[in-house]
This record gives sequence, C-alpha cells and structure tokens, in this order.
Amino acid sequence: MFILRLWNYFCGYAIIIIKGVKIERFINLAVVNGIYIWDIEKIDYTTIKAKINLKDFSKLRIIVRKTDSNIKIIEKCGVPFKMKTVKKRKWFFFGLGALFVFLYILSSYIWMIEIHGLKSLDEQAVMDNLNIAGLRIGISKRRIDKREIENSMLIKMQDLTWIGLEIKGTKAFVTIVEKGPEQQPISREDPCDIVAVKNGVIEKILILNGDGMVKDGDTVQKGQVLVSGTIIRGDLPNRYVHSMAEIHARTWYEEAEEIPFEQIEYKKTGKAFNTYAIEIIKKKYERNKKIPFEEYNKSHREMHLLNFGSYVFPIKLIITRYEELKPLDIRLNEDVAKARCEERLNARIKMQIPEDAVILGSKIEYFVNEKSVMGKIYVEALENIGTKAKIN
Amino acid sequence: MNSKSYKIKEKISDALELPKDITLDIPKISILGTDSVLIENHKGVISYCDNQIRVNTGCGVLTVSGQRLTIKSIIQEEIIITGNISNVSY
Repeated sequence: MFILRLWNYFCGYAIIIIKGVKIERFINLAVVNGIYIWDIEKIDYTTIKAKINLKDFSKLRIIVRKTDSNIKIIEKCGVPFKMKTVKKRKWFFFGLGALFVFLYILSSYIWMIEIHGLKSLDEQAVMDNLNIAGLRIGISKRRIDKREIENSMLIKMQDLTWIGLEIKGTKAFVTIVEKGPEQQPISREDPCDIVAVKNGVIEKILILNGDGMVKDGDTVQKGQVLVSGTIIRGDLPNRYVHSMAEIHARTWYEEAEEIPFEQIEYKKTGKAFNTYAIEIIKKKYERNKKIPFEEYNKSHREMHLLNFGSYVFPIKLIITRYEELKPLDIRLNEDVAKARCEERLNARIKMQIPEDAVILGSKIEYFVNEKSVMGKIYVEALENIGTKAKIN
Repeated sequence: MNSKSYKIKEKISDALELPKDITLDIPKISILGTDSVLIENHKGVISYCDNQIRVNTGCGVLTVSGQRLTIKSIIQEEIIITGNISNVSY
C-alpha cells in the first residue's frame, strides 16, 4: 500500500470534491472504468472528498456527465506540482545544488595537519619534511600515497622510529615516535669503572683490564665499584683505563606467599544474560534491567553501527554480558595448599631472576597455622653482576 | 444461493480443496480490530454515509456501520473501509 501511495505522490494527485445525488454510482463507475480513487470521505449528504491520480482526472469527465455531478479541485499534491515551485525558484535550488558540489569538492582536500607524539623534535621541521614528502595543506586526498610518505619521512628524518599517517575527513593526523635517548655504549678508548648492579657474594672475578677492588668471597653492595679504571701507583700521576672484567657472584632472591585454607571458588553455571545500551556521542541510553544473578562475570562488547568509509558515526551499541557464577566454599587440605603455594612462588620468583643467571639451588619453607599456609622461597643464583660506568 | 449450479460448484471446490472465495465468487472479509474492514470480491457500493456503508457482494448486501467511515481505497476486487467500526452484518 505504501508503495502505491509513493507512486501516486510521484505521479501527482489531486484532492477533489464531488457534489451530486448519485454519489455511490459515481464511485462504482470510477472503479469499473479503472480509475483509482482513494481516501474517500463523506462531507455531507451529497458531497464527498476524494483523492485521484492526475492521469485519471480526464477520464472522470464521462462519469461526471453520466451521474450529473460537479467536481472541484481543492488541492494539487505530488512531485509534478512541487516541480513547478522548483522551476519558479530555479536559482535557489541551483544554489543548493552548487553548495553540495562545493562541499564535496572542498572535502576532498587536506585542510589541516596535526602532528602527535612530538617530544624533542621541532614541529616546524617535521612539517617541512612532510611538505617535501608530499603531504601539505591544500593537496587533494586522492594524490596522497600514505605508504610512500611514511617511507620517505623515515628515510629523511633519522630521529624517527615510526610514523603513522591517518586521514580523517579533511584532517591528516600524523603520529610519530621519536628515537629515545639511546644507551651510548662506552667506547673502548673511554675510561670506565665496573660497578655492581645488585648485592651478592663474589664467586669468581676475572680482570682483563683495570684494578680489582674486591676479591673472591667478598660481599658487595649494589653500586659498589668492583673494578676501578683509575690506576693509582704511588707517585705516578693517575692513569685512566677502560676496565674489562668478568664478575660472577652469588645472588639471593626471596618471595613469600600465603594461601588460606578457606577459599571461595566461583563456578560458571552456564546461565547468561545480555543487556543492550546505545551510546550516541558519549551519551549512554539504556534500559535499567535488573540483573537476575547475585554473582556474575561482566564483559563488554562495543559495536559501531554506522560506518562511512573511514568515518565512524558516534553511535555505539554496547552489549553487556553477565554470566552467572556460583560461589563454592571449599576447604583445601594442607598438601593441596602447599602445592598451590609452590606453584605461585615459582611463577613469581621467575620474574625477578634474569634469564642468563644459573640457578644453584632453591628452598621452600612452609609455616602452617590453622587458617593458612605461608610459603617462603629462597633461590640462590650465579650471575654476572658487573656493569660498566663511565668515569667523569 | 440455492441454485443447482452453486451447489455443484461448492461440491467441486470442496472436493478439490479450492479456495471458495475464488470459485464461488463470494466475498472474503477481513476485519482488523475496530479500525478497518477489507472486503475482497465486492460488487460495488450501494450506499455511502458517514456512519454506514452498504456494499453489494456475491451473497447479499454487507452493511458496515460505525462512525467517521471513510473508503480508504477502492478498486475492482477489493475495498478497504476505515473508521470506528462497530458492526459488520449481512
């Protein structure tokens, strides 16, 4: 029905008033002759109001004559009549069309460049380089080859680690990552000391260059000078050398963990419940539904509903899923608690020990009371603790 | 309605399970709440008033009464009457 109405609107229709004694006959004759009339309303005893297609209007004349009635057009609707007003206001619609064309043309150029991630580099320098690479204000979006600009920028500017180019509308977003202040390796000519990076007991010290300040079996503190690059020999003036040494030391690590016997474990029951919300430009619209679970796991999922190319409309559908959990009170026995404790301790201690260290031994101690198991792990390792430090 | 040919037609359509509204040329009337009545297979409007519309059909005159009745659409096969309908009767 709606399609028919739309079609009629496009073809144009008229609202007419028909006056006559034999109104019913008029309607029947119109139907028989294939004239579609709709929205017939009775106004008074001899008058009806109806809508009729523009094309069929001329066919009505025969029926009017046959039934001795009067027709009067009271309103003309539809596209053909609208077109008349368009013709009258030609320049207005021309301007409207021109506006859209203008907008389209303008929106296909880059009008703004934003640079993010600058730390020490000069914005103007980056901008100049971008201009040379091919990204400048006023350039057509079609002529931009993102990959090429990114590559040529990386080649041209040595201080960049990464550059990302993103075009949103008429704006170009340039994200850059600068090279951080690099750890300058101390060159072989520069004098340096070797200091300890952590506490330990020296197991083996092998000096290639420099003066040893400690010997095997010494306990050293973090930051202590192990091998000195300043060589002092009696009356001779001080000499500075680049010290080199292999220093292996025993180091200790410890970690503690407590596991209570009384534990609450949550188990999924398999029941789930979804709520939906719509977010339009940071504003959230949702129905307040009661969550039918007492204990639950909540997870979010967001979806953008409308995308036009790279432009994302700020309309989001947020689906929140609640999964029911059932708390179970359990009591661990001592062995299980200890096993769990050990597992956690091992995992945590692993984070502390550097990868190249050799583990010499480990020991776990348990302290059990009525409520919990307390575990303590001690690990002894052998590792290189020396690092070079420049002498100023 | 009681003519011989009508009865034969009825029996045939019963036997072949054909829709009766097509074979027997009788109206099919759908009433949607109190707002609209759709009459298929009508035979023209007999009288039209604001509170009563009488439509000729294959099995008698159908009277639709109510308030502010309008003929939403009328074509050869069907007629849609809308308004505040209170009564549909033969």
